[in-house]
Amino acid sequence: MSSDLADGAPPRRSSVVRDLGAAGIDLFVGARALYGVFVQTLYYVARGRRERGATVRQMHAIGNQSLFFVSITMGFIGMILVYQSGLQIKRVIPDFSLLGATYLELLVRDLAASLGGLMLATRVGAGIAAEIGSMVVTEQIDALRMCAADPIDFLVVPRFLASLTMTVVLIVWAGTVAFATGAITAEVAFDVPLRTFCNMSLIDWGDVLTGLAKCFAYGAAIPIVSGYCGLSTFGGSEGVGWATTRAVVNSSLAIIILNAIISTASLLVFGAT
Amino acid sequence: MPAPAADVPRGAPDGGGAGGSPLGAAAASTGAAFIAIAHTAGGMGVLFGQVVRRLFAWPPVLDYPELRRNLYKMAVKSLPIVIVTALFTGVITVIQAAPIIKRYGAEGLLGWGAGFATLREVAPLLTALMISGRVGANNTAELGTMLVTEQIDALRALAIDPLSFLVLPRFIAIVVTLFTMTLYADALALFGAAYSGLALLQIEPVSFYNGVTGGLITLGDVANGLIKSIVFGLVIALSSCHFGMSTTGGAPGVGKSVNATVVASAAGIFVLDYFVSFILG
Repeated sequence: MSSDLADGAPPRRSSVVRDLGAAGIDLFVGARALYGVFVQTLYYVARGRRERGATVRQMHAIGNQSLFFVSITMGFIGMILVYQSGLQIKRVIPDFSLLGATYLELLVRDLAASLGGLMLATRVGAGIAAEIGSMVVTEQIDALRMCAADPIDFLVVPRFLASLTMTVVLIVWAGTVAFATGAITAEVAFDVPLRTFCNMSLIDWGDVLTGLAKCFAYGAAIPIVSGYCGLSTFGGSEGVGWATTRAVVNSSLAIIILNAIISTASLLVFGAT
Repeated sequence: MPAPAADVPRGAPDGGGAGGSPLGAAAASTGAAFIAIAHTAGGMGVLFGQVVRRLFAWPPVLDYPELRRNLYKMAVKSLPIVIVTALFTGVITVIQAAPIIKRYGAEGLLGWGAGFATLREVAPLLTALMISGRVGANNTAELGTMLVTEQIDALRALAIDPLSFLVLPRFIAIVVTLFTMTLYADALALFGAAYSGLALLQIEPVSFYNGVTGGLITLGDVANGLIKSIVFGLVIALSSCHFGMSTTGGAPGVGKSVNATVVASAAGIFVLDYFVSFILG
C-alpha cells in the first residue's frame, strides 16, 4: 500500500452513530475471534500432538531472553515507586516505619504483576506477533495447513504453555528486583534501615492469591492476544508492522482491564484488609 | 544527503568470536550486547542532532500538511485507548489505595493520595506506554515499510530530504501527542478514581475533589507529570524513528524493528522516569 504517504486525512463527514456502530461491531467480531482462538488453544493443550522441545524453546525465547529487559525496567520502577511514595509521606507524616511494609504489600498484590505484565506484553507480545505475522506473509502458515498441522496447535500452544510458566517465574523475579532496588532507595534517600524496610507483616494469603491470579491471567492473555493478532496478519511488510502494533496495544489493554477485574474481585472477596 | 541511521547495521555484531570456554562465550555475548546498545544509542543521538538542526533550519523545512496528517493519525485516533486506559487506571489506583485508606480511616485523604500518584507518576507513565505501543510502533512500521519498499529511496531520487519530509513532522507529532494525551489522561484518571471511590468505598466525589484541590497537591506536581510526558515523547519519537529508518530485510525485518522499538521505548521510559523524578525532586 503505497498510500502511506497520502492517507490519514481527516474524513470529511461522519455520523457519530455510524462510527460508534462500526466500532461496536468491530469490537464484537474481534472479541469473538479472540475467544475462538482461546478455546481452540485450550482444546489443543488438552488433546493436541506435542512437538518435542517446542515448548522448551519458547520458554527460552520468552523467559531467558526477557530477563535482562525485565530486570532493568523493574529495577528502575522499584526506585521510582519508593522515591515518589517517600516524597508523598514526607508531606504529611514524616514517619517512614510502614513504608516498606506497605510497598511490599502493594508489590505482591498488584505492582509486580501488573507492571511486569505490561513489560512482558511489550517484549513478548511484540515478539510473538512479529514472528507469526512474518510466517503468515511468507506463506509458511499456508504450508503448515497443507501439512495438516493447525497453526494454533503448532505455533500458539507452545507459546501459550511457555508464557504461562515463564510469566509467573519472571514476575516473581521482577518483584524481587523491584523490592531490592526499593530497599536501597529507601536506605539512601530517606535513611530507612533495611531491617525496618523488610517488613512482611501486612502480607496475607489474599494478597498472594491475588498476585498469583494476575500472573496466570496475564501469562495466558499475552500469547492468545498476540497470537491472534499475528495470525490475522494480511498484506506484506506493513501488515506485519500493523499486526505487531495491534499485539502490543491489545495485550496491554487486556492486562489493564484484567487488572481492574481481578482487583475488584479480590477487594470484594478478601475485603479491604 | 543519505540518512546515516539507515546505513548502520542493526543488532549485535556476529558474536561468538571468543568461542571455546563457556566463560569466553558469556563475555562475548555480554560485550556484543553492550556494543549493540551503544550502537543504538549512538544512532539515536545522531538522528536527534539532525532532527534538531532541521527544526531550527532557516528557511523552515517542516512539511505542514504532513505534520497535520500525523497529528490526526497519532493524536485523534489514539483518543479511545487513552480514555479506556485512563479510566481503568483511576479505578485501579483507588482499589490499591483502599486497604491503606481503610486501615487509617483516612477517607478524606483518598483524593490527595490517588491524585498525587496519578498526576506525578501513573498517568504519564501508562499513557506513555500505551502511546509507545500504538503510535511509536505504528510509526516504525510505517517508516520501515517505506524503507523496505524503497519509497524512501524514491524520495531521495526526487531530491526530497526524507528527514525533513518524514521524520521531522512525525517527531513533532509524537511529542505533541503524548503531551496532550497526558493532559486528557490526568483528568480522566482523576474522574475514574473519584467515581470508583464512590462505588467501592462510599467516599463522596466532593470529598475526593476537596482532597485533590485542598492545597496538598500543587501545580508543581501537575507540571512534574507534564515535563515527564515531554521527555517520554522524545524517547518514543527517537526510538521509533531510529528503528524505522534502520529497518532491513523485508517483512520479517519490519516486525523485528517494531519489536525493537517497543522494547527500547519501554526501557528508555522507565530509566529516564527515574532520573527525571530524581532531578525534579
